[in-house]
Amino acid sequence: MNTPKPTMVSAVLKEAPLVQGGLTFRGITEKISGIVEGRTPSLWWLLFGMALSGTLILAGSVGWLIYEGTGVWGLNNPVGWGWAIVNFVFWVGIGHAGTLISAILFLLRQRWRTAINRFAEAMTIVAVICAGIFPAIHVGRIWIVYYMFPVPNQMDMWPNFRSPLLWDVFAVGTYFTVSFLFWYVGLVPDLATFRDRAKKKIKRMVFGALSLGWRGGNRQWKHYELSYLMLAGLATPLVLSVHSVVSTDFATSLIPGWHTTIFPPYFVAGAIFSGFGMVLTLAIIARRVFRLENLITVDHLEKMNKIILVTGSMVGYAYIMEFFIAWYSGNIYEVFAFINRGFGNYAWAYWIMFLCNVITPQLFWFRKIRRSIPVMFTLSIFVNIGMWFERFVITVTSLSRDFLPSSWDYYSPTTWDVLTFIGSFGLFFTLFLLFLRFLPMISMAEVKGVMPEADPHHHPDAHHPPDTHHHPAPVEKGGAA
Amino acid sequence: MNTPIPSDDTRNMKHGKEYWLSLRDRDDTDAYRSLVEREFPEGTMQLASSMNRRTFLTLMGASMALAGLTSCRRPEEDIVPYVSLPEEITPGNILRYATSMPLGTDNASLLVDTREGRPVKIAGNDRQPVTGSASSVWTAASILGLYDPDRSQQTTLDGEASTLAAFTEVWKSRYGTFVESGGKGLALLCQPFASPTLHRQMNTFRAAFPEAIVAVTDPVSDRAILDGNAIAFGRPLRPRYDFTQADIVLALDADLFGSEFDAVANARAFAARRRVSSTKDTMNRLYVVEPTLTQTAALADHRLRLSAGMVPACTAALARELRQKGLALPAVVDSLPVTDAVPSTWIEAVADDLLAHRGRAIVAAGRGQNPAVHALVALLNDTLGNTGKTIRYAAQPYAHEAETAGFTALADAMKAGSIETLFILGGNPVFDAPADMEFRTLLENIATSVHVGLYDDETGHACKWHIPLRHYLEAWGDVSSIHGHLGVVQPLIEPLYADGISDVELLQLLVTGAVEKGYDIVRKTWAEIVPGLDERSWRSILHDGLYPSAVQLETPPLNLASVAATMDTRSFVPLLPSRENMELVFRISPAVHDGRFANNGWLQEFPDPVTKLTWDNAALISRKTAEENGLTDGDLIRLSTGNHEAPMPVWIMPGQADNTITVTLGYGRRTAGRVGSGVGFNAYRLRRADAPFIDRGLRIGPAFARHALACVQDHHGLDTERMAREGVRERLPQLYREATVDEYAAHPDFAPERVELLPLRNQWEDHPYDTGHQWGMSIDLNACIGCGACTIACQSENNIPIVGKEQVLNGREMHWIRIDRYFKGEEEDPGMRVMPVACHHCEMAPCEQVCPVAATSHDEEGLNVMTYNRCIGTRYCSNNCPYKVRRFNFYNYTTDLPEVMKMAQNPDVSVRFRGVMEKCTYCTQRITRSKIDAKRDGRVLADGDIRAACEEACPTQAIIFGDINNPDSRVAKEKANERTYGMLAEYNLRPRTTYLARLTNPNTKLED
Repeated sequence: MNTPKPTMVSAVLKEAPLVQGGLTFRGITEKISGIVEGRTPSLWWLLFGMALSGTLILAGSVGWLIYEGTGVWGLNNPVGWGWAIVNFVFWVGIGHAGTLISAILFLLRQRWRTAINRFAEAMTIVAVICAGIFPAIHVGRIWIVYYMFPVPNQMDMWPNFRSPLLWDVFAVGTYFTVSFLFWYVGLVPDLATFRDRAKKKIKRMVFGALSLGWRGGNRQWKHYELSYLMLAGLATPLVLSVHSVVSTDFATSLIPGWHTTIFPPYFVAGAIFSGFGMVLTLAIIARRVFRLENLITVDHLEKMNKIILVTGSMVGYAYIMEFFIAWYSGNIYEVFAFINRGFGNYAWAYWIMFLCNVITPQLFWFRKIRRSIPVMFTLSIFVNIGMWFERFVITVTSLSRDFLPSSWDYYSPTTWDVLTFIGSFGLFFTLFLLFLRFLPMISMAEVKGVMPEADPHHHPDAHHPPDTHHHPAPVEKGGAA
Repeated sequence: MNTPIPSDDTRNMKHGKEYWLSLRDRDDTDAYRSLVEREFPEGTMQLASSMNRRTFLTLMGASMALAGLTSCRRPEEDIVPYVSLPEEITPGNILRYATSMPLGTDNASLLVDTREGRPVKIAGNDRQPVTGSASSVWTAASILGLYDPDRSQQTTLDGEASTLAAFTEVWKSRYGTFVESGGKGLALLCQPFASPTLHRQMNTFRAAFPEAIVAVTDPVSDRAILDGNAIAFGRPLRPRYDFTQADIVLALDADLFGSEFDAVANARAFAARRRVSSTKDTMNRLYVVEPTLTQTAALADHRLRLSAGMVPACTAALARELRQKGLALPAVVDSLPVTDAVPSTWIEAVADDLLAHRGRAIVAAGRGQNPAVHALVALLNDTLGNTGKTIRYAAQPYAHEAETAGFTALADAMKAGSIETLFILGGNPVFDAPADMEFRTLLENIATSVHVGLYDDETGHACKWHIPLRHYLEAWGDVSSIHGHLGVVQPLIEPLYADGISDVELLQLLVTGAVEKGYDIVRKTWAEIVPGLDERSWRSILHDGLYPSAVQLETPPLNLASVAATMDTRSFVPLLPSRENMELVFRISPAVHDGRFANNGWLQEFPDPVTKLTWDNAALISRKTAEENGLTDGDLIRLSTGNHEAPMPVWIMPGQADNTITVTLGYGRRTAGRVGSGVGFNAYRLRRADAPFIDRGLRIGPAFARHALACVQDHHGLDTERMAREGVRERLPQLYREATVDEYAAHPDFAPERVELLPLRNQWEDHPYDTGHQWGMSIDLNACIGCGACTIACQSENNIPIVGKEQVLNGREMHWIRIDRYFKGEEEDPGMRVMPVACHHCEMAPCEQVCPVAATSHDEEGLNVMTYNRCIGTRYCSNNCPYKVRRFNFYNYTTDLPEVMKMAQNPDVSVRFRGVMEKCTYCTQRITRSKIDAKRDGRVLADGDIRAACEEACPTQAIIFGDINNPDSRVAKEKANERTYGMLAEYNLRPRTTYLARLTNPNTKLED
């Protein structure tokens, strides 16, 4: 490691410390491991019970769906896709934040990511699991859903590679695989910490197996960092590709309101927007419940709010540009599709979306609001709601009034649509709570890497001017404590 | 089983499903029975583990017997297949039989496809020169009525199970007494018929029982037309229109192509004058005056919205105008009442047009108008010189028309208690007799009431005896047609249910006191009709389904004095309804007729051609009247006339006359069966004997509840949302293209040029679709009347399930071909436009591209095919279909299908499971079959060999299907027409189905 020299930049733009409250390496290890090693809080049991009930609702409503048929949902002839696809896109979108934070921000050397990346990655994986359920159950004959996979068979029948739904299978599948690997690789040093701290034999064996023989040696760190970097490089295009591909489900079709070239970037921006919204919601709760204010600081939250502001504005730009292009195209069906969105029978949904995604995030221009926990919590919920409605508006309004007025119809969800969606939240929180309980929710190794102490030239005893403590420290360095 | 005509084959059929039959007596063992009872032979699962030679042979023998079970019951008497085939049925092949369907006096000549002994599909008889292969929704759907599990299967006495034999014994014991008394205390109530055998028997009945009362009644009779012509000509003649010779048609409250007599023939002939192949061709002009939009208005060039009570005054105004313009009408015309509620410009224009086309016009009035109007119309036609050229008159041979007087006399006698025994042969008077007659109460005075009907319906329940009547597809009978031929009704299947009797058998029993076979009775009649009837000529009549019998088309002299005498002001007084004194108009249902088809699921789910409502009727009301009364769609209100009252949901209908409420008859059945009971609202409860079609003094109450109406179109908001309405208005000229004949003459390419087709180039090499057969379809919007015969024919051909009202409300109806209905112009008084839409078989099909599993793909002959087995049901194809013609099986709609109804299904078409997408295939099974036949016969497939079911059924021949690669084919020629356009073709879909743009022929004097 080169000797870092204090630069003008670091001297002028003084960065606030990423870890506050005077936490030491040991303090961090104690803090994070303590969450997992301590007694299960009764609040956790309460939340887990609720989440598990939600999962059971999901199981029940999916079971009923498979037993009875797709008709239990509110779908009809023009509207062949309803809440299931809306939920799919919603969850996939949420699943964007994790990999974005861990991969893209990693490559961009955004050191503040370390406090939230583990957490966000876990959220990603859980969200993608939730998302993956919907395309599978929304088909009419789930028992042959494997026809979607290129399985060699005696009929020599292959899937239709021209279909965006098939691209989805690959895009989401790849994204899940890479995200999972990335998350797991990142976990290895922390798992080793758990192994080392484990007092029971079984625990030691489980964490021992999971930590893949991690010893924290120099060679291991060297290989580890390289592989982490490569996975980050692999994951980065996926962050952009998966939602682009999902958007082609709509964009490559013929339906006015779907057939739009702006969709891939617009969907990616929306996905990041919604992902950060969800991370924010969860982080605000978790830092409070687990007393992690010193690790997930208000500075972290403010940075996320800035991203929300940027992506929300991008989404708003896309909304307006869609209207402009529709008008500019001169195509009567296209023009109608958008006027119908804003002023037709689903106008209520459109304006909920517009309010939550475009207008309220603009409040983040104000620093005070960016740093106010209750306000940002409310706004993050708004983002979640707004982005669900965005998918609803795109999917349903376009279908419900397409070309021939004779086939126009109104779509409303049934109880089963609603229960399935609620159930998917149940599954999301069940898995997420399990993660919080059994795995390190903050990457100890990486957080330590961004602390001043990680700097080899850090000498707490020496009387250096305080600013020299805070020059950029390499993220790659850390320790298994 | 106790069939009246036991055949050797049926004797031992005790344990199988009732309507299948075994072939071998020896199989009637316990082992065999259990095999039949269980779908899978016992022990087949054990074969692998333990089997010896003996069990193997046992099982194989039983299995073979089971395989033989698929062949079916054939009637005992010889019936003759339409095409010559080996005498035995070849499994998998279609045998076609000619037969006829009696429907009052409006009989249809049919060809019925049978498969392995069961009738599965009905089409018109090609040999019938006037209607050809066309069918109406009722004829096509009657196949389902045959297999209706709710048809009555058992004679009942006081509601308890009895047998026909028991009734026969009772009748035999009474027969002598009645013969002696000349039928005193005996009454027979039947429906109108036109049948040589029934006619002969009726005469015998009258001779045998001179004292007996015979009444013929029908809830929707043409009595007024017949009476009006009786005034004019001295005899109750029927007008026979020759639309092919008419340049101008004026329909006065007459749904000529929908609910009026002989509608299919009318529509076919009328459309022949709308077939414009170049700018040189001329076409007819249709004026319609009516209170409610009808199918006929779909082709109207001018429509005058007028309440039904004003139509006589309108006719009078026309007569006066004609006389003023110099037509030699009697002076009494001038004394007819004058009204300013009929626009004089309209009357003037029509009068000029009629005068300019003397001898080439038709004036027709509907059955709802009073006899004086019909007499005046006859006079107008006579004076205009139309009679003898475009209109002739005829008496239908062997016909007994409904008579109001007879029914009233019967009711009086019943009230007086002078009837001891009443036979009700067909019909359902307890349900459909006028409310003020209180027929059910009258029945209580009858000691022995006998109802013979297809269903144990309201009347069956109210009568002492109920005897199941045979369906026309399982009994012998005959019909006569106004078109100049007779036909034999051949049974195509042994009666499905053991107990029962056909109408001819019953009358024979009444007249002779002895049971005779229907076949013998009919054969005896025909021996009288056909001189020297031998086996050979009999078979030839059966084979053809038609026997020519001259119907005298007359041009009778008009009795001017008699017509003039009826022209009192009373019959022509303008009855303009007001808010306080509303008008009530009764209409026959385009779906369930007068209620007789209420248990037919296809018909219940058949969208009304105009309102597009399914599974319900409604009180049709204009928006203005609705707003004045604070009503909106789906409001349940109480309608009351005099002492009668009925609830009815409101449906706001464009083009409806103000303060006129139109209700559809036939709904609100209580004991129709599992499909029809409790569907809709009973409008008969409002109907008075002396105002069967138009009543006044209607009062409507405020909305007291809501009722969900299942409409397949205009769901939600279209009418109230301005934005949506404007969107529709903007796009309709592109979707449905039309022009006036003048615009067309000036600009023949108006249709394809309405939307600019950008020159599009494929990035890849196009698949060549220029070899072999290339299927395509052309639909002539200038001929389509939107009757929906195609929808029902398709449903029958392609095993399309019904989904029920709840699912229609959810927007999940399954029809492969639907009729889109749009309104043109202002809402108060719009024109109606109809457009059949089925899969367009696009060459660049958007559905094919998006299916992830390639379940829908293109074949070499241009068909967009569905592979049901491959379909996983993502519904992506449906989303991406711009025409939204794909239908998804949201549930397993056939799982609860009663076993007997499965027999109505076409074995060539797979029944789709839930979770599978389906859609029009261009009747791919018919294509394949015809190709196989041609190949077997070593000939080239000729144009017209293959007819899609919709094409075959279309009354106006608006749908043409064929090989577009063959320049001589009809479809290729149609597509070469300059009016051809592809809907949404600008999306580079290259649809195989194209439309011929609509033309209108407006009177320039009436153009705004």
